[in-house]
Amino acid sequence: MRRLVAALTTCLAVVSLALPAFARAETQDQKEQQEKIDKLAKELEALKKEVKRTEDKSLGRWLTIGGDYRFRIDSLHGEVPNYFQYLGPTAMPAAVPGYKPTNDTLMTNRFGLNMKAKATQDVTISSRLLMYKTFGMQTAQATNAGFFADRSSVLDGTVGHIPLDNTLRVDQVYATWNNIAGQPIWFSVGRRPSTGGSPTHLRQDNDRPGSAGVPGLLVDYAFDGATLGFAPEIDALPGAFGKLCAGRGFEAGYDVSPQTGGTKSLLKDTDMLGVSLVPVDIDPIRVDLQWNRGFNIFDNPNNVGAQLGDIDWFGAGVLSTLKEVGPGNLTMFASGGLSITHPNGNHALLAGLNSPDSGAGLLVNGPDKSSNTGYSVYAGLRYDLPSGTKIGGEYNHGSEFWIPFVPAADDMWTSKLGTRGNVYEVYLIQELPLAAIASFTSKTFFRLGYQYYDFTYTGSNNWVGAPVKISDLSASPMNAQMFAPLKSAHDIYATFEVKL
Amino acid sequence: MLAVVGLATSSLALGGVAYADEIKMVGVITHIEISGKDAKTATATLKDNKSEKQVDITVNDSLTLDKFKDHRIVEGDEIKCRYEVKGGKNVSAYFRKTAGC
Repeated sequence: MRRLVAALTTCLAVVSLALPAFARAETQDQKEQQEKIDKLAKELEALKKEVKRTEDKSLGRWLTIGGDYRFRIDSLHGEVPNYFQYLGPTAMPAAVPGYKPTNDTLMTNRFGLNMKAKATQDVTISSRLLMYKTFGMQTAQATNAGFFADRSSVLDGTVGHIPLDNTLRVDQVYATWNNIAGQPIWFSVGRRPSTGGSPTHLRQDNDRPGSAGVPGLLVDYAFDGATLGFAPEIDALPGAFGKLCAGRGFEAGYDVSPQTGGTKSLLKDTDMLGVSLVPVDIDPIRVDLQWNRGFNIFDNPNNVGAQLGDIDWFGAGVLSTLKEVGPGNLTMFASGGLSITHPNGNHALLAGLNSPDSGAGLLVNGPDKSSNTGYSVYAGLRYDLPSGTKIGGEYNHGSEFWIPFVPAADDMWTSKLGTRGNVYEVYLIQELPLAAIASFTSKTFFRLGYQYYDFTYTGSNNWVGAPVKISDLSASPMNAQMFAPLKSAHDIYATFEVKL
Repeated sequence: MLAVVGLATSSLALGGVAYADEIKMVGVITHIEISGKDAKTATATLKDNKSEKQVDITVNDSLTLDKFKDHRIVEGDEIKCRYEVKGGKNVSAYFRKTAGC
């Protein structure tokens, strides 16, 4: 017993002597571990900040890149009836026998590069660069064959939209200031997205334009201008927005009237002002209402000699997508437009300032200064199947005096929506079932289409001179035409398109 | 122009009365959580432009859900949103891309 007590006492003594040292060692370890943890935490925090800094600077955070490529082949056949060719104000018109212009295979390349950069909070810069050329050519000669004013030369607002050469040009570039004063108000200025507006995006298989753009029936032209927009939150009017838009179609430059001896400038700026109201914009229904006025409309945008007056445009459109109509989705649209001219009595000059008078004004000839009203209707549908097949059909009719501002439209003969007569189009789009990589909406598709133009009056897409009924062209030299008039035209086209 | 101003005025008036219990925010979508094509609800995480806080928004309306499914609204899009807190969730009453062009 005594031994046991002695042994226990000895053990306790040894343990009691060892414990403080052990405890001290353990405290030291904990301290070191804590220091390590603190150091690691600091390093982790620094790493997080570094990652955030890198993320903040990364391109993906502020820059979005997209674009598209399109190969297109057109087979074009037309018919020019007997007519009188205008040869100038002092020459007798020449009788021209009818003929059938054809181009069996016209091939084109079009490449678009889109960039959207978030510069600061609420401010972005959007741009679209375009290259569009004919196979085997670096000129616009093949497509600008002299049948229609909008295809007789490449204009400021059509460059990039009509085949020209392999230069990558700025089609759009504009800065947008959004959420002004914390309200759904935006201001945007630059070269506008005023081409390819609703509902023309359907046959191009493009995305719905949203609050950008203008109704396609009235305007399809690359304007430099500005927009002030407002998108209120009204539960009864989902997606509603309104915009005040302005664009400049021609800059007249300095006023040099004293030097030219006149009392006022010979030329004025050509401007466009518009109000766009979309009271509702959701999948089942989108309604758009538009008013535009063009001031001091030029005679020839590439060589302005005179300005012929003003034009008012009014438009209304409905677009509706119904889901699960049978196996697919059905999209339908109908648009109507009105154009009212206000001639000022000036005549177009034949080749710019101080050149001979053509004798033709704003949809009038000679001394006539009458205001003329034209109208147009445009309707169509597209049925989208789950297989990626989209079948569409469109029809538009323009009256004798119909004159929209749509020369940048994606049609080879002439912008179909500016046609004075009837145009029928059917198309089939087949998207390929390939996984998207570049973006969620990337796609590759083929498109096959056919357009038939049935012209009733001359001067489609031309605001110079009075229209003449096609059937009256050969009746009198007084009905002479500057451009070879087409009675009908066909275009069978196919495309291979890739959208990033 | 008058029409635009009229539209603006009426909407501001409506906004002040109808949405008293709702919270408004503008933010960028950082994440979308949706369960397949047949999903009847989704959660979008928005980074508030002002506070930089991440806010989960529950989206139940079919038009917005369709946009998620069709990728018409994707991560990175800036959204103007109005929501109400219901049962601990921020339930969307208005969810659209910020307008502008």
